[in-house]
Amino acid sequence: MLDHLIASAASFSGDVDGLFVLITVLVGVWFIAAEAMFFWLIFRFRAKDGEKAQYVTGKEKHLKKWINIPHALVLVCDVVIIVAAIRVWVTIKQTLPPADRTVRVVAQQWAWTFADPGPDQKLDTPDDIRTTDELHVEVGKTYHFLLESKDVVHSFFVPAFRLKQDADPGRIYTGWFKPTKTGSYDILCAEICGIGHGVMGALLVVDTPEAFQAWEQAHAAETPAEAASATESTPAPAAGQ
Amino acid sequence: MLNKAYAALIGAALSAAFVAGCGTQPAAERSSQLYETCMPCHGSSGEGNLALRAPAIAGLPKWYVLAQLEKFKKGVRGAHPDDMEGHRMRPMARSLLGPNDPELVADHVSKMRAVWEKPDFAMADTSAGGTTYRGLCVTCHGEGGEGNEALGAPPITRQHDWYMVAQLRKFQSGMRGSNPDDITGAQMRAMSLTLADSVAMHDVVSYVKTLPH
Repeated sequence: MLDHLIASAASFSGDVDGLFVLITVLVGVWFIAAEAMFFWLIFRFRAKDGEKAQYVTGKEKHLKKWINIPHALVLVCDVVIIVAAIRVWVTIKQTLPPADRTVRVVAQQWAWTFADPGPDQKLDTPDDIRTTDELHVEVGKTYHFLLESKDVVHSFFVPAFRLKQDADPGRIYTGWFKPTKTGSYDILCAEICGIGHGVMGALLVVDTPEAFQAWEQAHAAETPAEAASATESTPAPAAGQ
Repeated sequence: MLNKAYAALIGAALSAAFVAGCGTQPAAERSSQLYETCMPCHGSSGEGNLALRAPAIAGLPKWYVLAQLEKFKKGVRGAHPDDMEGHRMRPMARSLLGPNDPELVADHVSKMRAVWEKPDFAMADTSAGGTTYRGLCVTCHGEGGEGNEALGAPPITRQHDWYMVAQLRKFQSGMRGSNPDDITGAQMRAMSLTLADSVAMHDVVSYVKTLPH
């Protein structure tokens, strides 16, 4: 339903959209009803010459029902929203379907880096394909992602997947997604993480199986040399020096 | 009559807004404003910051700062997955959106007063470092470490020792200088690979810190 506003490219993005529409409709209906009633009352009982205003406590049964009935209906709507939200939460956050492939997503000020397991399909082996700014995945496969942060709190946000997960330094979060449409989609940081937060973007490229295989083969060849570079970054002088 | 006056008033207001929007900011003001983006890491005087691994940049030649900004912008430098400091610098360079912004900020940095940064590491074997320096580095960086624009080599005498060691390590590992479009970086990488170990790096950097500044 929201596809025409923003692409929907993961298996659960429709669930999030459905929840969004449900909340918008239920809250919207009550908002319009309340405003309509409000303005009607203002108009209907506006000041008139020769008519004295009367104070109504609202305690009488025939008056109180105008509060109690809508209140009960709003509570019913709340329950509907809570149940729907929990169902979507369980699907996305509490369920971890078996992975076809696991990738590592690393956030740091102010870039996203990724590790694809490469041809052996195992992370942390010499054939891992490590990239900056671009994560390639295969359409129709279920992916697990291991999300970590090297420095401060970031948030892995893929709007087209309706996926958002915070990343705290020192923790590794496991999540999942299943891309359903090929194309290039934005990856953003959704947690203010410093002066470069606004430009901390990357691309999630959903490939066809053939294109993904070609990408993997092209990058697997250059990987061993790259892997050797995973060394100490900047040394700090020893204390007292 | 009233409508015409009203239309004229709106026209005048829009014209004034347009002229104000198009007004050019003095270059000095703009460059100083742009430097505010650099200040959190490089410091208000361009002195660098060990905690953030940001080098001293005050007084670096304009051509060098500009060249590095371009490299960061294009992802030729700072895009390696392990280059944490590069990842911080790359988006900053990319945030210089105006066509003259890199030049303005480079000009600003080059006019800042350069200060000799005292060594943070204990001085290593400067004699061995001197031998290495004269054999490897002197061709590009010059006998006195003054740099060489024609070869794209920066002056190095006033740089922090910890930064120079870090860069030598990055060049050796391929974190820096391995991008096919980084010509000068590739030259430096080749030189760094001739340094046998961390001791050799500290020796040569210690020697650089003894050069007149």
